Amino acid sequence: MWKRYLLALILTLGIFGSAFYMEYRLDEQRVAMIRASENDISIDILSSQTQFELLGNLECGTTTQSTALSSELDTLGSRLSVAENNLGSKNDEVVSLKKQYSLLEIKDFILAQQIAAKCHQKPVFVLYFYSNAGDCPDCSREGDVLTYLRQQYPALRVYAFDYHLDLSALRTLSSIHELKEQLPALIINNRQPVYGFKTLDDVEALIPELKATATSTKKTATSSVTR
Amino acid sequence: MNIGVLGVYVCIFVGLYFEVFLLISFFEKRPPQKTKTLPTYYPTVSMLVPSYNEEKTIAATIDSLLALQYPEDRLEIVVIDDGSKDRTREIVAPYLANPHVKYFYKENGGKYTALNFGIEHTTAEIIGCLDADSFVSEDGLIEMVKKFESDPTIMAITPAMKVYRPRKLLELMQAVEYTFGIFYKKMFDNISAISVLPGPFSLYRREVFAKVGPFHHAHNTEDMEIAFRMHLHGLKIANAHTAYVHTTVPSSVRALVKQRTRWAQGYLQNSQDYSYMYFNRQYGNFGMLALPFGLFAFCAGLFTASYMLYHLLTYVGGRVYSLATTHIPPHLPHPHLEWFYFDTSMLTFLAIATVGMTFVAVILGQKISQTSLSIKSFFSYFLLFGFIAPIWLARAAWGAIRSKESVWREQ
Repeated sequence: MWKRYLLALILTLGIFGSAFYMEYRLDEQRVAMIRASENDISIDILSSQTQFELLGNLECGTTTQSTALSSELDTLGSRLSVAENNLGSKNDEVVSLKKQYSLLEIKDFILAQQIAAKCHQKPVFVLYFYSNAGDCPDCSREGDVLTYLRQQYPALRVYAFDYHLDLSALRTLSSIHELKEQLPALIINNRQPVYGFKTLDDVEALIPELKATATSTKKTATSSVTR
Repeated sequence: MNIGVLGVYVCIFVGLYFEVFLLISFFEKRPPQKTKTLPTYYPTVSMLVPSYNEEKTIAATIDSLLALQYPEDRLEIVVIDDGSKDRTREIVAPYLANPHVKYFYKENGGKYTALNFGIEHTTAEIIGCLDADSFVSEDGLIEMVKKFESDPTIMAITPAMKVYRPRKLLELMQAVEYTFGIFYKKMFDNISAISVLPGPFSLYRREVFAKVGPFHHAHNTEDMEIAFRMHLHGLKIANAHTAYVHTTVPSSVRALVKQRTRWAQGYLQNSQDYSYMYFNRQYGNFGMLALPFGLFAFCAGLFTASYMLYHLLTYVGGRVYSLATTHIPPHLPHPHLEWFYFDTSMLTFLAIATVGMTFVAVILGQKISQTSLSIKSFFSYFLLFGFIAPIWLARAAWGAIRSKESVWREQ
């Protein structure tokens, strides 16, 4: 009789082991996909940057490429969010991916600004600083507001940064804007940082340019800026 | 990992262990198919039909007993009217022309008193109980008697219970549950740990009552308590999976919850009365496995349901709070259809494994009892059961805490 009890225990442990292994392998695959995606975006940004430098006075028709790049970055952001939820925000792999993602965001931000200046465009950039270390209870709701805004205004570009990420380029970006540790914080079109939770109406009032950029195209974005 | 998630893992581990254990039991000792052999000896049988306001079903119940393939002079049908206020007496009256049908009327005292009354007023070797809302298949009694004959140490036998004409969604759900029960009961028979002798068509050798005494009130679950007491006295209970009985089941949520609350609360209160049998090697697999697992399943069901409800309410509450304070108009979230966004956590795979094993158990139950279930039945079971069961678990727990007696019928 005890053999039956033991066999049942071994098989149950086997099922648990298999479930654990499947979770591990799929998370590993996710990380690999994010890594590959980051490499692709990195090449795309480098290519756009090089093209910009080569041409000097870029033909403005090519700026659509940068828009597509921004969309890829958004997708990458939401995928990274899934990985962070699954593996935890302190996971080394996640931290490394987040750093690379933040670098790509900064590079895209710089490039997009340069293109906008050359092509006399008036895009709206929002740098959003959040924390998911438990010290920012309003960050989740602020993320909801920005995600919804981006769905309503496709021209709006939101770059989300984890304030506590140990990345020198990010620290430089913060110090340029004299950012204080009061989260959530928004930097809209390089103006003075705005601190604390802002409702949808507040943010719309803070960005009057949105009305001008609204193309009435109610495209839906696929990503979230919250983590 | 927080304590809630850890608790869910423990629940799933024990649940899976139990399912694996039963499946091993099945493959070690596969239940034999029904054969056409007949018993060499036909013991006298008294079929007791305790009834209280059963005017709708009593006639069909008696008809099913009269249609049993069994020597007429060896079978008597005894209707014990437990103080019915409806037309039960009138409906039974025509049947009394048959010398093998008897009718007794007594003051209402509860089902167990009706059964004890029947035992006192009969002399047959085998005492059978059949609820007045159940119908036996024609060869049901023969199959039970064959089982008694196969092993003289068997003192009581349970049948394979099926749902009578399931049509409504809740009845279909119970049809799957009862089929799972057929598998479950057969496997418990394999390990001598059957914990209930259900009202619909359980049979006892008369000496059982001489050894363990009559039925008790037992928190309105006399059919469960007598099984506890039989294990206490080392009397063997078996299952005849080839003897089919069809029983009517509640078709409304309210009636179902009321019935199941009575069963579950009875289990809790009887467990308390017989707590010394838990983890007691003296009572074999009944004490070591069936009782502890039953109680654990009760607690696990409540815990998991509470955990899921808490998360659902937290999520919905969070979304409502977010929408209300952010001033974002209500809108549907954008669905992600790529596998990347699917929940592939260990918990998901374990939940799939648990549901998969339950499905296998139901299929095996179907096979051994020659039952056929529709796809709709499976859907209703997997969609509804998890939502309804926690209601009666919670009510039973609350009732047991307050020690409030549940009622078996509208007495």
